[in-house]
Amino acid sequence: MSSSAVQIRSRGSRIASAAVEKARLSVVPRTRTRAPKVPFVTLVSLILVGGVVGLVLFNTSMQQASFAATSLEEQATNLAAREQTLQMELADLRNPQRVAAEAQAMGMVVPPAPTFLGLDGSVLGEKVPALPTDALNLAPPAPIKPKVLAPAPTIVKVMAEPAPTSKNKKPQNTPGRKRH
Amino acid sequence: MSSTATRKAAGRPHDARRGAPAFRLRFGLIVIAMVLSFFGARLVQLQGIDPNSYAEMAAAESVEERILPAERGDILDRNGLRLADSVHGKMVVADPVMTTDDAPALATLLSQRLDVDYFKTLARLREDGSQFEYIARRVPSTIATDLVDELSEAGYEGITLRDDPIRNYPADDVAANLLGFIGTDEPLFGFERTFDRQLSGTDGTARFQVGGGNRIPLGENTVVPAKNGTPLATTVDMDLQWFTQRVLAQTLQQYKALSGVAIVMDSRTGEVMALADAPTFDANKALEADKDDLGSRAISDAYEPGSVEKVLTASALIDAGKVTPRTRLRIPPSLPRQDRVFGDWFDHAIIRLTMAGVIAKSSNIGSVLAADAFTPLELVGYLQKFGLGQRTDVGMRGESAGILTPGDVMTSQTKDRVAFGQSVSVNAVQMAAAVNTIANGGVRISPSIIKGSATTDDGTVVGTDVATETRVVSEQAARQTARMMERVVDPEAGVAPGAQVPGYLVAGKTGTAQRVAPTCGCYDGSTTVSFGGFAPADDPRFTVYVVVHAPQVDGGGGSIAGPAFSRIMGYALSRYRVPPTDGKPSRLPVEW
Repeated sequence: MSSSAVQIRSRGSRIASAAVEKARLSVVPRTRTRAPKVPFVTLVSLILVGGVVGLVLFNTSMQQASFAATSLEEQATNLAAREQTLQMELADLRNPQRVAAEAQAMGMVVPPAPTFLGLDGSVLGEKVPALPTDALNLAPPAPIKPKVLAPAPTIVKVMAEPAPTSKNKKPQNTPGRKRH
Repeated sequence: MSSTATRKAAGRPHDARRGAPAFRLRFGLIVIAMVLSFFGARLVQLQGIDPNSYAEMAAAESVEERILPAERGDILDRNGLRLADSVHGKMVVADPVMTTDDAPALATLLSQRLDVDYFKTLARLREDGSQFEYIARRVPSTIATDLVDELSEAGYEGITLRDDPIRNYPADDVAANLLGFIGTDEPLFGFERTFDRQLSGTDGTARFQVGGGNRIPLGENTVVPAKNGTPLATTVDMDLQWFTQRVLAQTLQQYKALSGVAIVMDSRTGEVMALADAPTFDANKALEADKDDLGSRAISDAYEPGSVEKVLTASALIDAGKVTPRTRLRIPPSLPRQDRVFGDWFDHAIIRLTMAGVIAKSSNIGSVLAADAFTPLELVGYLQKFGLGQRTDVGMRGESAGILTPGDVMTSQTKDRVAFGQSVSVNAVQMAAAVNTIANGGVRISPSIIKGSATTDDGTVVGTDVATETRVVSEQAARQTARMMERVVDPEAGVAPGAQVPGYLVAGKTGTAQRVAPTCGCYDGSTTVSFGGFAPADDPRFTVYVVVHAPQVDGGGGSIAGPAFSRIMGYALSRYRVPPTDGKPSRLPVEW
């Protein structure tokens, strides 16, 4: 009885000790998986270098675009100016005075009475011959010149110390300066 | 402390020359404090005392500010052709300090390329003590840039360009009196000045940072774009205007006249299609012209219209039912009235004229007798409705309203004279609009010379959009007056066969009036001759009015202004393809 009891007791203690043994915490051995440093450093430096190079390239291309923009703007201004000059020439060519002068040089005159030719061959209006006397006088009237081309200078005599009385001489009127 | 000192003394004997640490610390502190206080003082100086000037200095290093010049609006004719346009231009400027040495070579080149005088240019290139001399102004930008490129290739220095917009008048003197011109700095006269606010626009600015001549991409960049001027559209027809000017100038030359005006008006719309003043000037060389010629006499000169006014009296009388074209009048050789004796321009015994005859023969006595049916108040009331005595507000500068004595203070003597166009003064546009009232079936359209609408410098809105119509006389009265006016150009019945346009029915009226000389304010014996009329008489398209002041060759409205009227009218009809109408010519009796 006692032996069995001892047996039981001893078995019990064994189980307990095993449990204790099992329950004891122990530090897990540190598994120090050292990640290789090289790829990370490479990646970071690649990003860095890439960023810097990209920035430089971007800046350069912006500069390039700026050069292009400046030169294109200049070109646009030049072309606009050229267009304007050409339009000016066109307007000069279209000047009715020039057209009329050329037409009259070719012997054409503005008819004194308008006549119209109908589609059926009929003529509307009175047929009045256009004569050389109908030609307009295209020369502008002679410019009006002043009567005296080089008028005498206006002389105003000023005294060094003007007297208080009205002794100052009035400016002389120069003759012949009516029209300017 | 002591242990360190011992260690130092023991271990590093050479540190001993640095001296005592306490001293070192203090000394270092003082140095640092001094440096920091310098920094602090500088900081206060930079940020506290005058922060802006440094910011400005920094900006001036790289920031460029440029004015973006607004382009001045064009002035267009009724078909969109440019009467005035703006072109990019440059002024060519020399710095004599740099150009003196190469002056002869430079002057040769400049005078060849820029059409400037060689000797003047040479003198300017050698100007002593100057660093800025104009060589040429308002040079088209392409020519100027080409020139500077050529010069810099040849190695010359000291010639630079600056912006200098050009105002160009492609047709020189065409419509110059209407347009005005741009002086050296500001618009002078005409539309250029009246509508300057609309034409000039607003300059813009551009601020940007510059490095090596190029804009810095991400730098400061502000642009306020320029607002270009709005073009001004007129109702003038460039070719018709040119023709009218040439015919008028030729008439003036032929009859040695002082000045003249010719107006072409669209009868139906009251649009002024041509308004010629003579003498005129070249708008591109305005400063060479006589100052008196720069404005428009058509609007600023008031004169007595003479017999052209008779058609207004006649149509008013018909409208009021006082006369008909066939009313019989007995015309004595002279007509004594209170203070003076009226006579006719031709000597006659007692003649028997109809009302149509009074118009056709232009009898003053007949007009006075017919107008006896009117009180001064009635006559003036009609004339005011025709637009006499009031400004037309057509949009031209310096308009004279003319003089029409109000009806309630008008004596019967004055009324007698007003009935045939004396003692009343008008401007030419006013009179053209009045004659046009007859052409337009009795409805007066206020004349306009601006297409659409525009605001003048005194705030008046003018233009075709704001043209008004007022009935003055009945349509029948206008038609009957037109029939009477047809007799004026009849070779047998009338006094102005020269005004006839062959193939057309033309209605018109001559006018010969004594002219008031501006120098003495009195009648000086010179005359104002005129012709106003319209065609085709039965369906009027154009009203033309020609006035010639002080011709020195003998003649009247029919012989001097009539042929000019005929030519201008003929050209207008042909240009606008108005075929002759089938209407029967007027056969109204002139005598009985």
